[in-house]
Amino acid sequence: MNLVDPAHRPSRKAPLVWAIGGAIPWLILAAGQVVWFATDSRLLWVHFLAAAVTVLGIVVFVVVVPLWRYRVHRWDIDAKAVYTRTGWLVQERRIAPISRVQTVDTERGPLDQLFGLANVTVTTASSAGAVRIVALDADVADRVVAQLTDIAAIGAEDAT
Amino acid sequence: MTAPAGEAWHRLSPRMLLVHPVHEVLRQIPLLIGSVVLGSATGNPMWTLFGLALIVGYGVARWFTTTYRIDSQEVRLRTGVVQRKVLSVPRNRIRSVSTDARLLHRLLGLTVLRVSTGQQARGDAAFALDAVEAAQVPRLRAILLADSLAPAVHEASAPGRELARWRPSWLRYSPLSFTGLAMILAAVGLVYQAGVGAALQNSRPAKSGLDAAERFGVFASVVVAAVAVIVASVVLSVLRSLVTYGNLELRRDADVLHLEHGLLRVREHTFDMRRLRGGTLRQPLLVRLFGGARLDAVMTGVGGAREASLLLPPCPLATAEAVLSELIARPDAVTGPLRAHGPVATRRRWTRALALPAVLLIAMVARYPLTPVWLWPALAVLTVCCAFLAFDRSRALGHRVDAQWLVARAGSMDRRRDCIAAAGIIGWTVRQTLLQRRAGVATLTAATAAGVKGYRVIDVPADLAWSIAATASPWVADNDWARTT
Repeated sequence: MNLVDPAHRPSRKAPLVWAIGGAIPWLILAAGQVVWFATDSRLLWVHFLAAAVTVLGIVVFVVVVPLWRYRVHRWDIDAKAVYTRTGWLVQERRIAPISRVQTVDTERGPLDQLFGLANVTVTTASSAGAVRIVALDADVADRVVAQLTDIAAIGAEDAT
Repeated sequence: MTAPAGEAWHRLSPRMLLVHPVHEVLRQIPLLIGSVVLGSATGNPMWTLFGLALIVGYGVARWFTTTYRIDSQEVRLRTGVVQRKVLSVPRNRIRSVSTDARLLHRLLGLTVLRVSTGQQARGDAAFALDAVEAAQVPRLRAILLADSLAPAVHEASAPGRELARWRPSWLRYSPLSFTGLAMILAAVGLVYQAGVGAALQNSRPAKSGLDAAERFGVFASVVVAAVAVIVASVVLSVLRSLVTYGNLELRRDADVLHLEHGLLRVREHTFDMRRLRGGTLRQPLLVRLFGGARLDAVMTGVGGAREASLLLPPCPLATAEAVLSELIARPDAVTGPLRAHGPVATRRRWTRALALPAVLLIAMVARYPLTPVWLWPALAVLTVCCAFLAFDRSRALGHRVDAQWLVARAGSMDRRRDCIAAAGIIGWTVRQTLLQRRAGVATLTAATAAGVKGYRVIDVPADLAWSIAATASPWVADNDWARTT
């Protein structure tokens, strides 16, 4: 017995949003290094080393990771279960039955709002079983939430 | 259900008028010291008396300001002398009731009654009646649990069957725990913080001790000190175990499980059997060497780790297994053979355990002329220990699954065998790191609302992972993505 991968990808804008989100801390770090270099330019090799680490970090977290995550991330919902695949180095496939869903939350960070994305979190009674579908287009997210609350008939029973 | 407690607000036992001031005095020792210092500095003992009166008055005021009420919907507790607080708990959310009587409480025949809803209530948010008369406890317990445990309470009048009772021989597992060592370290830390260390350094006993150490030689003194610490730690561990778990009794009345333990401070827990989703047999290495095990309950509404879920402290493995078999009515899940996870999982245990010795070896060879000679035998000992760990860990790995129970075993230093009811599993995660994907294994996590919430089956062959999940939870195989291959 095996499960095939879920069908749907996140929004096409997801890699861009992840890249921007990943770039912010590294750009702050880079700015800090520029200031450091301007105030104290002795020990050139230390500056070179720091710059190399920063460039490597930017390449990995702004280019590689968002594309990798976009290749991995998938989600799907059918009449009985929610199923996702997430991660990049560490990959997770998670499935939860809709009959045990307790809440369905939508959450939008500042970057998500800028690009019209939304994240849907489906929680069950177990803290180890919450399913997150990230970086959906806002209209898709609304449809997902409507569909889930429709099937789940949330609050019907104890769900533990 | 009639509510004998009525719909009126009740006070705690009047005997708390004696206990509260004592507790307040103990809690406000800094304030008390301050007032004593102020009293002696100003030469006016009135300050000391005033401070003491203030503290005692506050303790007395606590009794007058604390009231509770049990009505048909919820229980409420009003507290606070200065800042008023009302805590209410819906009665149908009450999952367990536990009691706890410290020494002073016991002398006065009082008991603290705690109500748990299974939410992560910590500190102030916990609902505790501190304290009511011990004679009232059975009645209050019946009332509080009436809504969530209605059928069970009626039968509770008949004494239930005893599942396990503490025996002095259980103490043989306790010298091997680190609790004694932890207590010694804590005591030493406290003493040093109080500034005694500096005073001690120049005192006569310390000096004569140092002289003696010089006479005996450093090595002998270190050995003597180590032996002393070990003996003290063993004695403390055994004493603590005796005081905490002495008189332990595990009893089952129909759908209710009663656990009572403690010599000086008596604690009592009541668990709702219908919320039991399994159990965990835990065998820390040192306990396992002597054939012991401890038992934790996996239950919704009861915290997974630590004391809250403890059913049996370290005791003979056979006892723990018998009790768990009795509770879940499936002896094969508790003692049955497990399916091993195969050569890849074994290889991963060995590579992980031997990584540290390998790195050390490379470092020592690279700096060969500088490596002290004694490091080589040390490395050999470390390698043997790591190899044992790898062997033991790979031997432990295993699982067993059918439509009713998922059983997973893992670990060496802290071996655990988790038995989880399939009906309680509400989600599955298959997790693979980069190395696991290359090796073709996966870690499967069963999510439940009970116990520690997530139970892992480590390094199963990747193509088996979903089959295990589908065996325990038919809904995993019954959807758009399932394929039989």
